[in-house]
Amino acid sequence: MSRIIYCDQAATSFPKPPAVIEAVTRALTEFSASPGRSAHRLSLAAARTVFEARESVAELLGVDDSSQIAWTLNVTQALNLALSGLVQEGDHVLTTSFEHNSVMRPLSWLARTRRVEVEVIPVPPGGQMDPAEFSRRLTGRTRLAVVNHASNVVGTICPLKEVKKALGGVPLLADAAQTTGAVPLDPIEEMADLLAFTGHKGLLGPTGTGGLWVRPGLALGPLVRGGTGSRSELEEQPEFMPDALEAGTPNTHGLAGLAAGVRYILDAGVETIRRHELQLTKIFLDGLTQIKGIKIYGPTDPNMRTAVVSLNLAGRSPSDLALTLDREFGILTRAGLHCAPRAHRTLDSFPKGTVRFSFGIFNTAEEIEAVLTALDLLSRRRT
Amino acid sequence: MPREVLVYIFSSIHQVLRAEKVLIRSGLPFDLIPVPKEVNPDCGMALEIELTEADDVMAALTRAGLVIEAVYRRRGRDFQLLPEPRPTS
Repeated sequence: MSRIIYCDQAATSFPKPPAVIEAVTRALTEFSASPGRSAHRLSLAAARTVFEARESVAELLGVDDSSQIAWTLNVTQALNLALSGLVQEGDHVLTTSFEHNSVMRPLSWLARTRRVEVEVIPVPPGGQMDPAEFSRRLTGRTRLAVVNHASNVVGTICPLKEVKKALGGVPLLADAAQTTGAVPLDPIEEMADLLAFTGHKGLLGPTGTGGLWVRPGLALGPLVRGGTGSRSELEEQPEFMPDALEAGTPNTHGLAGLAAGVRYILDAGVETIRRHELQLTKIFLDGLTQIKGIKIYGPTDPNMRTAVVSLNLAGRSPSDLALTLDREFGILTRAGLHCAPRAHRTLDSFPKGTVRFSFGIFNTAEEIEAVLTALDLLSRRRT
Repeated sequence: MPREVLVYIFSSIHQVLRAEKVLIRSGLPFDLIPVPKEVNPDCGMALEIELTEADDVMAALTRAGLVIEAVYRRRGRDFQLLPEPRPTS
């Protein structure tokens, strides 16, 4: 394979640490059994794998009781689980204009099917929202607020702690798709009441892994119902966590890889990862200002964003730029609306979108320089 | 004559494995066994504890915040449900 520079970490992280690949291979070759169902040694090995994965994510999130983490296939399913399980007929829900379709689509569905009033708080294109916007909009029917911890389009980090304070007792669902493993967290109970995460981005695990942390004492209904290996005599879903929100055989092989990914991050340290990614982002943003025709979206202060930069180059459509970068330079990005049309409307980049560059733990300063060189060359080329 | 042991039943495999982790850290002996179908229809696992270790095990599990569903005194195929699965102290 010719050399590639992978700048699509906000979609899925790549490459994966060798320990992740080894853990998945080991799970597939040594104990492909059903966890928590049968009681033989391979089933037990599988159950321990799932348990240890839960414990490692709990450690990363700073959660005492790992049973409050329910596995899902990805962050989208975790968000759907939280929204569908908590929001009832006629409720009022607050969200922002920077959300992904993994939030906006289930909210639209709730508005249509459960007559839920969805109130979207506009976010300034270049900066952070004012948390007081949430308290101003609270009503007696406000059941939930849902916001991303960082925008998948421009990386803006949301001050979750302040938003949670502004909400009083109204639960806050945090979409942490872009931040888990990449941004140090405050104590989780000060940040959110529910936190949805995915395993295949900053946690460096395989696709098909993710989950939802639920604050103890907050009850919500499941998205799917079925076998759990517990309370087998009953035809109702158990009410204790995590079985209350999980049903069917989990992705044991993927979770084995996720546990290894999380272990890798715990060993490296989230602070160290954040410093590295911030450094790359600064190099990139500084370099972009020297290139003619580049328009950068989102906050100008790199400290206010994750390692995500959306841009456009004058004279080229986002899709054309991304294709040229891929074909000619082996630079892999993501063009378009990034499943967040409302965020692009807010940024005034709808409907064509932007080209998004997103960096991770394994990207290097040399790679960023190579990307800048390619963009500079393209900016001088006549199209 | 069959030996007597205690069988600890938990709500889920997650709680069983949490208990396992606690007991390993505490250096307390135990065995993981399939849930005896004589007392519970669950598909999962249970802890088997020697009578002599019962107080230490219960104390360690309680300290860790584990909720034990039931404790049985087992002799061979006879199971006797103990009235209170938590220590009295």
